[in-house]
Amino acid sequence: MSLVIHGENPETIIRIAGAARRFFPDSPAQAVCLAPPGDEELRRLGGAGVETVHVLPENLTSQGPAVVVAALAMAVAKLGASTILLSATKYGREIGPRLAQRLGGSYATECIHVESVGEGLLVKRLVLGGAYQASLQLNARPYVIGVQAVADSAGGGAGIPRLERLDVDVDAPKIELLEVVKPEASHVDLERAEFIVGVGRGFKRREDLSMAEELARILGAELGCSRPVSGDLKWMSEDRHIGLSGKRVRPKTYLALGISGQIQHLVGIRDSKLIIAVNTDPNAPIMAESDYAVVGDIYKIVPPLIERLREKLGRR
Amino acid sequence: MPDIVVCVKQTVDVYQLKPHPETLEPVFSQAQSKISDFDLNALEEALRIREKGGGRVSVVSAGPSINQLLIRETLAMGADEAHIISHPLLSTYDGRVTATVLSKLVEKAGRWDLILCGEASLDNSDYQTGPRLAEIFGVPHLAYVTKLEISDGRLKAWKSMEDGLHVASCSMPAVVTVGLEINTPRLPSLLMIRAATKKPIHEYRLSDLGLTEEELNPSVTLRELKALKVERRRVKLEGKPEELAEKLADILVREALAR
Ligand SMILES: Cc1cc2nc3c(=O)[nH]c(=O)nc-3n(C[C@H](O)[C@H](O)[C@H](O)COP(=O)(O)OP(=O)(O)OC[C@H]3O[C@@H](n4cnc5c(N)ncnc54)[C@H](O)[C@@H]3O)c2cc1C
Ligand SMILES: Nc1ncnc2c1ncn2[C@@H]1O[C@H](COP(=O)(O)O)[C@@H](O)[C@H]1O
Repeated sequence: MSLVIHGENPETIIRIAGAARRFFPDSPAQAVCLAPPGDEELRRLGGAGVETVHVLPENLTSQGPAVVVAALAMAVAKLGASTILLSATKYGREIGPRLAQRLGGSYATECIHVESVGEGLLVKRLVLGGAYQASLQLNARPYVIGVQAVADSAGGGAGIPRLERLDVDVDAPKIELLEVVKPEASHVDLERAEFIVGVGRGFKRREDLSMAEELARILGAELGCSRPVSGDLKWMSEDRHIGLSGKRVRPKTYLALGISGQIQHLVGIRDSKLIIAVNTDPNAPIMAESDYAVVGDIYKIVPPLIERLREKLGRR
Repeated sequence: MPDIVVCVKQTVDVYQLKPHPETLEPVFSQAQSKISDFDLNALEEALRIREKGGGRVSVVSAGPSINQLLIRETLAMGADEAHIISHPLLSTYDGRVTATVLSKLVEKAGRWDLILCGEASLDNSDYQTGPRLAEIFGVPHLAYVTKLEISDGRLKAWKSMEDGLHVASCSMPAVVTVGLEINTPRLPSLLMIRAATKKPIHEYRLSDLGLTEEELNPSVTLRELKALKVERRRVKLEGKPEELAEKLADILVREALAR
């Protein structure tokens, strides 16, 4: 098995390489980067088991996925890889299927486990809204896999990878990137948060979020949200969206306020130790998936809750 | 006057689906099929584009057994015609086969400027059909689009990415994939439902699309499917808000904040 690893930045590649080492401890891995990694990143890529780092010409990403895919396809042909591992991020999901189609290969994303079996590759991933786990056999080579890579990478590799320039000349349909509008909010590491207060459409107005913010502050929690809150309403930044298409979190406690708990949200919080939900509807799906299901109105419960907690914790 | 093809998938209603208590396998016979959620957003967007600039909106759908009643719903919303194929080899797990077959249906729909897909399907969430179609037709793809504009034959899209909104533009023909953020799908009126009965649904066999069963050889096969279950305590708390706040504060201090 020869592996090629690609991601939007060195940090992602390091994570995927860590996962790749767990899945294929004996297979050599090469990375393909969009820009040259720094010295420290190069050392960590080596630590994650990467032997060679190939660097694509600059500015490919701003021309869109088709251009990156064409470049990657040339790289894969040159390096002779049978398996291409990508990140299961939005970037990876734009690139992966298109690459698989171009190479005539099979594709699966969001994989939490990958192993070789006889004539193919076996992967495990969540399906049916995230409530079920499927084992899928990929039959067509090459295999393009999106990996759900967690933060901790298995180390063990040594040495600094060789750095090589990949001169590829591609012609593919382009898109033009006009502008990137960054959110005001600072970056959060929800995956590592120990306590998360999740906010859903039970909140009627943006201003009302201040009540959740205050509660989170007292509890020392991070704020997360359902997809409509970040996507539809844009009340929170995209990196706080929890669920199938957002972050998978594993806090000690998840407190869901005004979230119905559709399966796509539940997938994201399944690994929480303790789940508490506050919802006016006793039959909302989240209630059956909670350790404590509080039937009530967040507007009537959260303000006195903040008061009680202030008293009990002596915090302001 | 862009002509638009919308890919509409029929999936099992995952919100209804329950696992068998012992085998933990999904009991498909007890759940209905429905239109994959984001495909209604894709269709709605197509209809809005047509309302502004004219053109034709066609729906394509492929699957093991396409339910015509659900296709009628898309026509009732306003699509002009539908092109469908049912074949037992069309498994939801095989993105390569699905994209191949859909590309043939798209060709049957005639000339097109834009293909609209959901960003991910309700059952599999593979995020793959749109980008595969873009590669098959050799056209650009704009993904995670939350706002779309067309002017002078070019698309301008606001793409929701992890690090912010990417504003991008490309020429047509192109593929665009959308989620629930882009719009709120309309509910068809009784009048529209009645009008839809006269709209054409073209149903094809594999050979009509110039395909053979060998070409549907699976690139992905399902080996096992099991529900993931985490048992929760399910303690229900009811009462007056003040009492609930007090109880909840106790629980938080005792169980969540204790080290
Ligand atoms: C392919 C796909 C992927 C998706 N991915 C995700 C994902 O990653 N994350 C995600 O979250 N969703 C995702 N969704 C969307 C998901 O299906 C739901 O639409 C969404 O989670 C609902 O968000 P919500 O709970 O905030 O809103 P709603 O479903 O509208 O629920 C609001 C809840 O608030 C309660 N409520 C109302 N007022 C009050 C009050 N005053 N006090 C207390 N409770 C109140 C209501 O009873 C209701 O239960 C996805 C959907 C699809 C099809
Ligand atoms: N069998 C199908 N028939 C029609 N459209 C489909 C089919 N499968 C996928 N699609 C389209 O592709 C999108 C993404 O699906 P997926 O790649 O399965 O996540 C869906 O939202 C549909 O728009």
